[in-house]
Amino acid sequence: MGLSKYVWARSAIRLRRSRGWQMGILTGLWLLSEGLVRLLRLPVPGGVIGMGLVLLLLVNGRMRPSSMRRGAECFLEYMLLFFVPAVLVLLDHPEFLSWLGLKLLVLIMTSTVLVMGGTALSVELYFRWGVRHAHE
Amino acid sequence: MPTSEPLLSNVLWSLATVGVYLAARALNQRWNRWWTSPLILAPAILLAVALWLHTSYQVYIRGTHWLMLLLGPATVAFALPIYEQRALIRRHWPALLIGVAAGSSIAVGSAWALSSWLGLSEALRLSMVPRSISTPFAMAVSGDIGGMPSLTAVFVILTGIMGAAIGEGLLRCLPLRSSLARGALFGMGAHAAGVAKAHQIGGEEGSIAGLVLVMAGLLNVLLAPVLAVFLR
Repeated sequence: MGLSKYVWARSAIRLRRSRGWQMGILTGLWLLSEGLVRLLRLPVPGGVIGMGLVLLLLVNGRMRPSSMRRGAECFLEYMLLFFVPAVLVLLDHPEFLSWLGLKLLVLIMTSTVLVMGGTALSVELYFRWGVRHAHE
Repeated sequence: MPTSEPLLSNVLWSLATVGVYLAARALNQRWNRWWTSPLILAPAILLAVALWLHTSYQVYIRGTHWLMLLLGPATVAFALPIYEQRALIRRHWPALLIGVAAGSSIAVGSAWALSSWLGLSEALRLSMVPRSISTPFAMAVSGDIGGMPSLTAVFVILTGIMGAAIGEGLLRCLPLRSSLARGALFGMGAHAAGVAKAHQIGGEEGSIAGLVLVMAGLLNVLLAPVLAVFLR
């Protein structure tokens, strides 16, 4: 009896450390937040509410980082895969494979360079200003 | 692929999507060129196959919609890297907030100005505006301000792909000393694809990029109703 209890406890620990279980928990938390968003008609995506919820649980110590690390790392590692199907919407827009498509590409490229440069430089300037004032 | 058999077509398209992505990723790890990036190569191959088989977007997305849904739990998973960098964030949140505010204004302003200059239609222009924030946020904002969410999703992804590629070059040109600025550049300019790239550059950069992505998304979703008034 004692031995089977020990075996049971060991396999429960192994399950909780497994990637599949942890991914399941994260998915469950997401479904919960998605339901909450629908119910309360919040203007924020469910995933973001779920992220806030997990952050809160981590900060309060209700959830340990080790209880989700493997699952979270797996989701983040394969995140780019989840974007692939969305690109296929181009099948519905044959007009983009023309002059218009080229215009859009130029627009996106130019705007992205401006956004990246502007963001990085404003953060850098603020950071250097802070460093200089910390020394005074 | 036989579209008369929905289940079979759904399974085959899912397998094809995952398989092509994994193959592209393996190739990219061996041979790091911009065009072997899994976000460019995998959709390009799938597009070619779908065109060849005369598969419509409706049929394709019916089978692969579950993959896009996984973006939800992936967003939840961002809580961990953010939690682990909490000391850095507590110290530097004003700098990050300034970066997000500057980046968002430049994103909206430049997308608006360039679309007008290139003579794009109203629908395209409004779909282009929320381009610099992460997909789930961007689709919400696009709907709010009167754009087309599905088109916005494509613009977001194109932004991510190009941003991740351009960002590396920009890092070499700009005199950035802080990991804050390097992370913010990728998180604001190329969201999820940028976060992945930033993680390759350094753990600190990666976490900052993830945080900036979330901050930008939240700020834009909250400001979307205000933006809608100005853009209409």
